[in-house]
This record gives sequence, C-alpha cells and structure tokens, in this order.
Amino acid sequence: MIIIKLRGVWHHYPDASSWALKDVSVELGSGGITLVAGHNGSGKTTLLKIAALIYRPTRGEVTVNGRDFWILEEAEKIMVRRRITYIHEKPVLMRGRVLENIMYPLRIRGLGREDAAMKAKMVMRELGLVDLADKSARELSAGQSQLVAIARALVAEPELILLDEPFAHLDSWKSGLVAQALQARMRNGVGIVIASHSRGELPEGLEPDRIIVLEDGRIRETRC
Amino acid sequence: MAGSAQILLPSEVRVRIATTTSLYATGLLDYLAEKFEEEHPNIRLEFIAAGTGAALRYAERGDACMILAHAPILEKHYVEKGVLEDGEIIAYNYFIIVGPNSDPAEINGSSSIIEAFRRIYSAGELGEAFFISRRDLSGTHLRELEIWGRAGLNPAGGGWYREAAAGMEQTLIIANELSAYSLTDAGTYLRLAREGRVPRLSILYANPEDPDAINIYSAYLVRGCSGDERRYAILFLKFLMENQRMIGGFGEGEYEQPLFHPAEGRLMELKDLWSRLASGMEVDNP
Amino acid sequence: MSLALSEILDVTIRSLYVSGLATLLSASWSIPAAYLLSFRRRVGVLEAVVESLVGVPTVLLGLLLYMLLSSSGPLGFLKLLYTPHAIIIGQSILITPLIISTCYRALRVVAAPYLELALSMGASRSQAMMLILRESAPGIAASAVMGFSRAVGELGIAMMVGGNIRGSTMVLTTAIALGVTRGEFEAAIILGIILLALTIATAVSMKASMGVRAL
Repeated sequence: MIIIKLRGVWHHYPDASSWALKDVSVELGSGGITLVAGHNGSGKTTLLKIAALIYRPTRGEVTVNGRDFWILEEAEKIMVRRRITYIHEKPVLMRGRVLENIMYPLRIRGLGREDAAMKAKMVMRELGLVDLADKSARELSAGQSQLVAIARALVAEPELILLDEPFAHLDSWKSGLVAQALQARMRNGVGIVIASHSRGELPEGLEPDRIIVLEDGRIRETRC
Repeated sequence: MAGSAQILLPSEVRVRIATTTSLYATGLLDYLAEKFEEEHPNIRLEFIAAGTGAALRYAERGDACMILAHAPILEKHYVEKGVLEDGEIIAYNYFIIVGPNSDPAEINGSSSIIEAFRRIYSAGELGEAFFISRRDLSGTHLRELEIWGRAGLNPAGGGWYREAAAGMEQTLIIANELSAYSLTDAGTYLRLAREGRVPRLSILYANPEDPDAINIYSAYLVRGCSGDERRYAILFLKFLMENQRMIGGFGEGEYEQPLFHPAEGRLMELKDLWSRLASGMEVDNP
Repeated sequence: MSLALSEILDVTIRSLYVSGLATLLSASWSIPAAYLLSFRRRVGVLEAVVESLVGVPTVLLGLLLYMLLSSSGPLGFLKLLYTPHAIIIGQSILITPLIISTCYRALRVVAAPYLELALSMGASRSQAMMLILRESAPGIAASAVMGFSRAVGELGIAMMVGGNIRGSTMVLTTAIALGVTRGEFEAAIILGIILLALTIATAVSMKASMGVRAL
C-alpha cells in the first residue's frame, strides 16, 4: 500500500522561465485507475515525474505514506522508488536484447539471471513479446518498444504504475493486451495513473475511477 | 625548416637555396642575404634549411637552385651523379669535441681527433663515458662516422654509444643531460654555452691544426636550374667568393673566436683536404 | 638508416606501447571528468576552453614539458627526460582535452534520459552510473580510439622530451622525421604507411569488439 501526496507543488524546469506546475495538491496511490487529462504543455508529464519521485519540485512537499520523501537517506529513497514505476512517453530502451531490457529492474534488485529471465518471460507472454526476446532493442518499431518498456515496468511488481501517454503508438490489438495486463494488476491492488489527452484515448476496459484535469499547470477540476 | 618568407613583388626574382640547419642556425646566411639584397634589390634569396640528406634530395628534385653544404662525401656523390655542378669552397671552421666537465675519458690533450675518439671508445667500453651521435647523415654525423672508421673502431652496439636522431642543438642538450661526449661544430656549442644551456659540457678537444677536424663549407649550383634564377644564383655565388672577409668577420664581438674562416688564402690546401675527405682517404698531418 | 625488420618492429612496438599507455592513462582521468561534466548545467565556457585546447601544438606542449623535466627545471630530479615515460606523460596530457570533449559529447546525449530511466527503475547511484556508461560505451570507446590516434601520430612531444634515441625513445613519428632529415623519403613513407595501418587497425578492432550490430 503506497500513497503519494503532493502538497502545494510548484515546478519549473531549470532553464525555463515559466512554471510547469502551479500549486498542485493531489493524492495518488495504490488501488484504482486515475486519468490525468490535459493538452500538451498542461503539465501532465511533470506531474507524473514528480509523483514518480524522479523530479524534486521547485516548491512544495512530496510525501510517501506520510513521510517527506526528499529528506530521506539515499538508500531509503531507492527502496521507495522501487515500489513505483514510471513509463516514459517515448520509450527509453537500453542497448542489447529485448530480454535483457525487461530483466533489468530485477537484476538491479539482486535477482539471479535465471529467476529474472523466468519472470521476464512471464510478463512477455502477457504482452505477446515472446518472439522478440532475442531481438536487439534498437531494431523494434515504436509500438513494440512501448510494449517492451511496459513489460519492463511490470516485471518488478510495483505498487503504483504511472504511464505517460502509453497508447500513442499502440494499435488496438496491442492496446488491448496492455489494458488486460493493467486490469490484472489493478485487481491485485496496484494503483494505475495514466496521463492522456482525453478519456477517449483509453482502450476498452480501462474505466478511470478518477479524472484529474490539468490546464496550464493547474488542476482545473477533479471528477470521480 | 626555415626560410625567408616574404611577398614577392612582380619584378622580384627568388633564388631558392637549400642549406643545412646548422649553417642556417648561425645566422650567417641571413646576414649575407641582407647585404646581398642591398646591392641587388630585385633579388629575393630564400633559404630552405633542412638536414643535409634532405637538402641534397630537394636539390635533386629541382626544388632548389643552389645548395650550401659541409659534407664532402655526400657532395661528391651528388656531383658525380650529375645533380650538382662543380662547386666552390666558401668557408671553413672546425669540429670540436665537447664532453662532461670532468672529462672521464681524459681526451683533453689528445694529439689528434682520432686519438680522442679512441680514448672515448675505451672509456665507453669500460662504462665510464657516453657518446651521443646524431645519426642523421648531417655533415657532423658523417665526419663522426669517418673518424670512427679511420680509428678502426665500431662503436655500434655499445650501450655507451647513444644515437639520438636530433638536430645539433638538441643533441648537445641531450649530451648535457646525460653528461656525454659529442662531436659538434664550434658555433652551435658556443651559442648554447652563451645562453647557459649546457652547463655540464666543456670543450675538450679543439685543434685548428688537425686536418681531420676541419669542417669545409661549399656552395654548388644545381644542374637543371635555369633562367633568371640561375643567373642570380651565380651572382650570389660570386658575392660569396668576393666577400670572404665579411664571412670571417661574422659574429665578431659576440663570440671570442670567429665562427667561420674565409676560404681565400688557403684555397689550394682546402681543396686538397676536401678531395681526401670526399673519398674517405687517409689525411696526413701537414 | 637501415630499415632492418628488427628495428621497424622495435619502433612500432614502442609506438604502440607508449601511445597505448598514454591513452589508458589519460582515459583514467578524462572519462570520469567527462562523466561529471555531463551532469553540469553551465558548461558553456568550460566546454569552449577544453575544445580549444584540443588543438594545442604538440611542439609547444613538448617544449613546456621539456622545460619542466630538464635537469635545470623544477622536475629535473625525476630524471624523466629522454625516457619513454616522459613521452607517455606528455602524450597523456596532450590527448586529455580531446578525450574529455568527445566523451562528454557522447555522455551528454545519454546521461539525462538514462539517469531518469535508472531512477524510475529504482537503481542506486552506482547502478545508474553503470547504466549510463554502458549506454555510452561506443561513444567512450570512440573517444579512446581518437585519443590513441592523436597520440601515436604526434611528433612534437616525442621529439622534444624523447630525443629520438635509437633503442630507447625512437617511435614511428620520430623515425619518419629522421628519414626525411636524412633524405631517405622512401623509407619515411613506408614507416608512414605502417603508422596509418596501425591507427586503422586499432579503430577497426575497437568497432568490432563493440559489436557493430549494436548501433
């Protein structure tokens, strides 16, 4: 069970002059699907990255289960981050084979090669990626890359998954596979947060329990 | 490589003269060129300074009209090959041996340069002395090889005989660092000594009477050079022959001894010495 | 200058040894420097300075080093002058700006997105660094190859602090210079071809070991 709370968060990027997020307060955590909706530049990605504990907000507080994240010890931060996964809008894969990519989160958690490979293959089966196991990551199409990134995110069994416009490059077949995988996780109590332009972009079966609308860096409304 | 790089006026003629780095480095050539160009303002003398071997190759390839050298054996070879026309001896000075101040091989007082080399060899074999050779087929290097040959010695292989393929200045600097002996022309050593850059070295053999130590400078026209350039090269050659005193007086006041001696007055003797050196023959003491 | 096979071999091996060691030495501080730089924001001026130092004339660096190492210089007591060690040190200094700037450019592209990726996957700092270095491996390798090429092909330093002494500090470039001085142009060209072949062979084998398939 994990709850991430943003309180009074303002954020601007180091080289930018304007605020990407203005006075955002929101709670994200285990259980349920949350849709973060908004146009390009509304601050969706920034919000997700702050919630994913990747960016430290310029102003404001980020707590995890009540504790201020950014004052934790380095080792504790790592432990907390391992419970959350963020998937980039444009998938960032590593050099090497697809299987190695998907195994990575398990390997850095100390899992042995065989166990990691086994778990990786299970997730790959879910997302129809088994045939691609030995392919070089650089040879994949945009859609395939996205699936691999998602598989990589799921393999370490996070409690909270944040996906940034995940369906942009996926055809309906692949979107369906992803929806099924996410639903399965959700049934186990995992929290899902999806950033998207609108609700219409979500595939069948992913009904958001909550919709947060972002406009120009601010939360304009919250619908349940 | 050095040269006088100036923009040629359309009426100017350039004369390309290949020369050895050690000769050029003394500054004599620039000095003479200045005087010559005063009398002949439409002539531009351009000196291309390189190692003796390279300078002769440049001449062979027609990249120079005239060459100034001090390696009789190589000069003769190129004359016989037809690359160079018969030349003129323009000046001379002496090779000297410099070495560590303590003179471990005790060459000071040697009766001849060959004797001095023998002593260096013995000391080297006993591990008491080092010798730095230039290895670059320069006039100095060739003379060094000749002397070893005449002494009947082969220094190669001995750890005391280091071949540093560097210019004369650098060779002396290396000799200074390693406290070693080396054959050199007086001018280069005196210049470095005046600048205080070779404190560990002293002149240990310098004998103007020693024919094996004589260093003869000659000027040659390159066959194949033609036209205005050739005409003006001949003019410069004549200038050199007629201004021998200027050559002898060069560096006066800056150095205790003259860097160069004019060839005139000893021409016959020098030609004789040149011939013997060029054929690698025995040179008798006069 | 006899082109005895044994002497060619001696000179070639020495070139490889001296410049190879110089490259490893320089890489040992240049790559970490580039890594640290790749995370800094304001690198403009620093970047410009480093890049302009890439083109420093070797004879100048050789001269400065000579003045340091000469027996009348401050580091004369080390007795490094006219030994291969002096050349190694000089060349490692020479190629440092080159390796830093090329490595930096490779890392810069990689560092930010992969750092984020690493964080998002819960990697520790050292795991993140490993990831970034692995991803930039081709770029880093290329910078080392470039550094080696520059080192093995330079003349000024080898000449000034090495002295081109047969059997101890003569390398390919100084041997070529000697060939030119002696008028033995053909021999010089042959040595030059060997030098080029060496550089190409190094670059090719580096590419091969990186796995050409992985772009």
